[in-house]
Parts: sequence; structure tokens; C-alpha cells
Amino acid sequence: MPEVKSIFREVLPKQGQLSMEDVPTMVLCKPKLLPLKSVTLEKLEKMQMEAQKAVKLQELAMKEQNQ
Amino acid sequence: MEVTMDPLFLAWSYFRRRKLQQCSDICTKILQDNSYDQDSSLPISEAAWSLKTRALTEMVYIDEVEVDQEGIAEMMLDESSIAQVARPGTSLRLPGTSHGGGPTPAIRPLTQSGRPITGFVRPSTQSGRPGTMEQAIKTPRTASTARPVTSASGRFIRLGTASMLTNPEGPFINLSRLNMAKYSQKPNLSRTLFEYIFHHENDVNNALDLAAQATEHAQFKDWWWKVQLGKCYYRLGLYRESEKQFRSALNHQEVVDTYLYLAKVYQRLDQPITALSLFKQGLDHFPGEVTLLTGIARIHEEMNNIPSATEYYKDVLKQDNTHVEAIACIGSNHFYTDQPEIALRFYRRLLQMGVYNCQLYNNLGLCCFYAQQYDMTLSSFERALALVANDEEQADVWYNVGHVAVGIADLTLAYQCFKLALAFNNDHAEAYNNLAVLELRKGRIEQSKAFLQTAESLAPHMYEPHYNLSILSEKIGDLQSSYTAALKSEDSFPEHVDTQQLLKQLREHFSVL
Repeated sequence: MPEVKSIFREVLPKQGQLSMEDVPTMVLCKPKLLPLKSVTLEKLEKMQMEAQKAVKLQELAMKEQNQ
Repeated sequence: MEVTMDPLFLAWSYFRRRKLQQCSDICTKILQDNSYDQDSSLPISEAAWSLKTRALTEMVYIDEVEVDQEGIAEMMLDESSIAQVARPGTSLRLPGTSHGGGPTPAIRPLTQSGRPITGFVRPSTQSGRPGTMEQAIKTPRTASTARPVTSASGRFIRLGTASMLTNPEGPFINLSRLNMAKYSQKPNLSRTLFEYIFHHENDVNNALDLAAQATEHAQFKDWWWKVQLGKCYYRLGLYRESEKQFRSALNHQEVVDTYLYLAKVYQRLDQPITALSLFKQGLDHFPGEVTLLTGIARIHEEMNNIPSATEYYKDVLKQDNTHVEAIACIGSNHFYTDQPEIALRFYRRLLQMGVYNCQLYNNLGLCCFYAQQYDMTLSSFERALALVANDEEQADVWYNVGHVAVGIADLTLAYQCFKLALAFNNDHAEAYNNLAVLELRKGRIEQSKAFLQTAESLAPHMYEPHYNLSILSEKIGDLQSSYTAALKSEDSFPEHVDTQQLLKQLREHFSVL
């Protein structure tokens, strides 16, 4: 839009050096791709979960028997 | 009249269709009718007994090549390593010796052991090797990387005992009453029995006993028993003995598995170069074998030589273009070398192949965002969130959504996402660090500092919290703490230019005083 006159005019030096201050800024941690799990690991985790569940059920049954 | 199937045949059929529980139930019934006795028994009960051991083994069977869990004790009280300070490029324990060309920590996040994160996890890559005793003990603080004290107290033993707990009549085979010598002479029963003892009961001592007697009975000519002996020695931590057994088995018969086991021994002995040459030797006998190629790629990756790891993963894909590990590793490598579009193609390929889980959708979402395909980004993340299996995964997905929010400059959303990540996983150091940056933008210096200190204590291997704390302290005029934090940052990422500049500035400052 060339007809709109801006209040600010940009200043671009035609000669001489252009200098810029490098200010240290804080850094963010990077995005994290999640690694896929191998079949073995998935099976291990599944077995562990099932074993834990079974043990919990058994303990519950034991408790009920005691009562 | 109804014709009933022979029960043993039916059980066998169930076994082949992997309906293991039904198979085991029928075998139990057969064994009740024809009781099994070690000394004299009918062929049918012997067959049923053998089939039941196989069914029970299959239920808990895991690929022994993949199984590897190093406990703190083995790692720190290691007697088998040859050199305490290995030369660069010859050890798996010096993650810092990068061969160049790999992405720096400024781009690619690190795991706790100081290695770049990989695209694929296996039981042995889960936590890597911490460098010092202090780090080793500290590491299990976060739930996701818990490490057993020794491998003898690890997951496999716990699984073994759990399988006994769920059996109210006690174990199927009472190992202490077994006459090993007798079984070792019956080749048709001894192998299934061995696998049962090794995989189901996890009783390595008894398994070793049986294997030793059986190999003696076979006059030391059976390669299979030698491999089993090697596996037992490996589990017991006698690596040199297991090496001998595997070598001798290879002399009898060239088998891919034996190569893999032997390479595993060398990796445990921290001799990656020997393992590599062994794999190459194996490739001479079995050209293009995928598992051997993958083994080479994994070693290169563990030694932080990412470019050649990628080369080998590409070779793997030439042989088997549905290899999930290779696709995932190449994809993540492209993502962290600034080519998210190509990474996106690899992950899309995985999706086409039917991989359907939270991790994949999360990666797709990130790749879409950085490849400027904004339409798919949020829906991918939504799916990832719908598929999460546990709180740690949920935290990671929210953390990545936070990055997307930072990218579109919606800092309120970003703030909320990082907070959510922390709500699901209180040990998420990266989220703490990023929150601190956002807090500082809001001008809350104290809060920001507190977050950074938390991040620092949770993840001393990351350079970001140290560096940020250094900048923050310098801004508020606490030059001494700024200097110590900068030193820590230099420790974890020596090539970081900004840290070097900051240190230089501080040193000049101190010399003026």
C-alpha cells in the first residue's frame, strides 16, 4: 500500500558499518521426539502390568478371606 | 454321535495357534488322568508334560538377545573392563567422544547418560550408562529410569516370582526334586525343560546344571547346548566363560543368534570394536542379515557416531523395508538435523505400516509443525493425547504441545502446557526450564530462579538450566553464582559458544576487580 504514509521512516545507512549487539538470551529446552518402543519392551511392560494386577487381585482375595 | 478330538492333538493345535492358556489347561487335565512320573511313565503323559512346559515358557518368553539390564553394582564394580580410561572411540562409556557431524546438544536433546536421544528404545537402551557412582545412584530418582541394584534383582527375577505367585497350587515343576542327570539324557525332554527353567522360573543355577550335564551327554558336540550354557554364564555375569561357550558353538555351527549373543557379551565387556568386527564376520557368512546390520547400527549410535549409524540403518531398510527401528531412527535423525519434512515422510511410513501409538502421533505432530503443515499438527497431538498409556507419556506430549504454543507465540497456552506437563510428571526437568524462561519474560525473577534450580537438580546432564541460571544471575548482579553455573554448563556442553563468551566476560570482570 504505497499511498499510506507511515509516521516512522526506516533508516538504512548507505555507508559505514552496521553493528548489532549480541545479547545473550535464555534458551528453551528442545522439543522431544518420543522414541518408539521395541516389541520386547512392550511385552515386558505388559507382562509386568499383568503380574502386578494378578498380585493385587490375590492380595484382595486374601484380605476378604481374613475378614 | 459326537466325535471328540484327541485331547493331546487339540492341545497341540491350541499351542500352534498360540492359545497357550487353553493348551496348558488341557495338558493339566491329561496329566491328571495319566500321572507323570520322572522314572517310568507313558509316552502320552510325557508328551503332555513337555507340551505344557513349552506352553508355559511361551507365555513369558522374551527374546534373550534383547534382554539386557545392567544394575548399579555391575556397572560400578566392574572387573571385566580392560582400561579404566579408554581411548576415545573404543569405549561405550565415553559418550562425549563425538566423531563430528552429529547434532550438538543445542539441537538434539540428551539422555541422562549424555547421549543424544534415539528414535527407538529397547530394554537395554532405556537408561544408558551413567558415568559416575554419584550419578548412578541419583538416576533412579525419576520413576521412568529406575535401575535395579544388580541385574539379579531386576525385572526378570521379579517376573519369575510373579508367575509363581499367581499359581495357587505352587509351581508346575518342583525344581528341587528334579533329577537333572536323568533328564539330561533324554534329548526330547531336556530342551523344553531347560527353556522352562531358564525363561519361566528364571532359575539360572539349575538351568546351568542341566545344560552342563546335557552337553556332557552330547559329548560336547551339540552347539545348541553350548549356546544355552553361554546364555546362563552371561546371566550369572561370567562373561569370559560365556564368550568361550559361544565361540565353541560357532565352531560347530554358524548361527546368526550365536553371533548376536557373542556381540552382546563384547558390548557388556565394553569392547565395541570387537563387537563390530564380529558382526562383520557374521555378515560374511550371512550376507545382508538384518539383525547383524541392526547390531552394527546400534553400536555406532551408542558411540555417538550418528552419521554412520544412519548409513547402516539405510542398509537395513534395503533388506527389510518395514523395519520399525531403522525407520524410527532415521526419522528422528532427520528431524534433529533440520529436515522435519523428510522425518515426516518416515513417520508417515510407520503410520501406513500400522504402528498406532502415542509416541508416533506425537512425533508426527512435531514434524508437521516444524515442516509448516499446520493443519495436521493439533489433530496429531490430540490423537497422541487420546492414546497415552501412562502419566510420563502424557507429560511429554503436553511438553511438546507447549513448544507448538511457543512457536505461534501464544505464551499463555505455552505456560499452561508446561504446567500440565509438570502436573503429570513432577520430574520433568525440561518443562521446569522452559517455565523458568517464560516466568522471566513476565519479570518474576525469584520464581524463574526457583524453577531453574529445580531443573538443575533434576537433570544435571542438561546444559540449558545451568546456562540460563548463569545468565539470570549475571543480570541480577550475582556474578559468583553466575560463574559457577556457567562452569557447569561448560561441563555438560563444552562447545557451546554463548557459554564460552559469558565465561570470558566474567573472567575479565573478575580480573578487573
